[in-house]
Amino acid sequence: MSFQLDSQAMDAGDGAPQVNIREGNSTNIDFILRNTDLALANSLRRVILAEVPTIAIDLVEVEENTTVLADEFICHRLGLIPLNSKGVDDLFYSRDCDCENYCDACSVVLTLHARCTGIDVMTVYARDLVVSGNPLNDSLGQPVITDPAGQGSIICKLKKGHELKMKCVAKKGIAKEHAKWAPTAAVGFEYDPNNALRHLDYWYEVDPEKEWPVSENADLEDKPVDGEPFNYDAVPSRFYFNIESAGGLEPDVIMQQGIKVLQRKLADVHQELVERTTDGADGFGGAREPEVMDGYNQEPGYTTPWQGNQSQWGNQGSMSAYGGGAQTPHGATPYGHAY
Amino acid sequence: MNYPLGADPRDRNIIRYGRSGAGTNTSANYPERYELFILGDGEKKVTWVLDTRVPNTAIFTFNKEDHTLGNLLASRLHKYPHVQFSAYKVPHPLFATFDLRVTTDGSMTPKAAVAKACADLVTDLGKLSQEFTKEWELKRLANSGRE
Repeated sequence: MSFQLDSQAMDAGDGAPQVNIREGNSTNIDFILRNTDLALANSLRRVILAEVPTIAIDLVEVEENTTVLADEFICHRLGLIPLNSKGVDDLFYSRDCDCENYCDACSVVLTLHARCTGIDVMTVYARDLVVSGNPLNDSLGQPVITDPAGQGSIICKLKKGHELKMKCVAKKGIAKEHAKWAPTAAVGFEYDPNNALRHLDYWYEVDPEKEWPVSENADLEDKPVDGEPFNYDAVPSRFYFNIESAGGLEPDVIMQQGIKVLQRKLADVHQELVERTTDGADGFGGAREPEVMDGYNQEPGYTTPWQGNQSQWGNQGSMSAYGGGAQTPHGATPYGHAY
Repeated sequence: MNYPLGADPRDRNIIRYGRSGAGTNTSANYPERYELFILGDGEKKVTWVLDTRVPNTAIFTFNKEDHTLGNLLASRLHKYPHVQFSAYKVPHPLFATFDLRVTTDGSMTPKAAVAKACADLVTDLGKLSQEFTKEWELKRLANSGRE
């Protein structure tokens, strides 16, 4: 009567996920994730794309704009400029902050002032954004500049007599709210490059083999033999990730933060399930759930590690029940306590 | 030239542009984007009801969550021998909510099963985080050795 997936039941939980980093630098990381299921890999991908917080310009006070571009147009461009988000964890969301409008605990203020007095066209770059006030750390809110000339993205061009004067307030947010908060430019994600599991049904003119060249990852997996019986129990087990940072956060930090965001989501749910044993307000009415496995509610390790912790993610070093996240075998974490 | 009060461009000192905070788009006919992930007043993250027609079955409704959590939990529950059924659905794409239906064999309540899935996933993610840190450190050592 009971439907069991015996082989999979064995894997549940045991066998830690494995990571093989193929390439890594300050903007990009390419790795293979193994020993996890598709759902976890995909949730990680989704969370990295949309739910890792960064900061971006969110409020602009226009004092002077005599350029050819409309206020709104320039404000939109400002929002899209990647800003250094190192230590954004310690920043409050503006909506959670006690301040009236914005303050140093929940924002970074950047000013932009440019006036063209010469004959030539003057170009305003992201480097012209100057952090003012007292940001939480020296790098937080600095525009990301990676080009050799050190200019950053172009904001606007001015002719003689044009002036641009703005106060930009950068706030913390996530890409689910607006894409300007996306930590990544792209997340590469691939599994089963040979399509052995037939999750894909290729559209083709004549021959799908020729029209759909396999990726280079296909060399790392066994090629299915023609005429081989299809394995209905096979599940994807290797996931090829490529996290490409937008510049505000380092790619390994993005990955670690993604894991944290997912953990936090799960811990919140766990806490609600465990704490609210029964209450009429949630639609239970009088019907009590049979608490057969009461042990689950009291399991000591599972009071959530975030309980009562003021910082957004819990301290990295804190000995939570779920293990100390990024504690490295080499001792201190490379991220300081922020990550 | 006559401008309505306050609209004379010469009087203009500062114009604010931003879309932060509640009530900034009162005239717009769409929900605020943050309503996708910020719980409303008095709203619970999870509520659940027991299915009266099938034993040991509960339907959990998650608020302000999406496929990221739904698929993760539903597929983790598949791995437990005491769980006979688990699946999730997003009833409507415009509403940030999903329903998770769980049936167990009776030796564990559906709620306990979901709680266990959450706890196990947090553990696994913790292991992943450690593994990733380890590999990244090794990679950095290898990179600096090459230079």
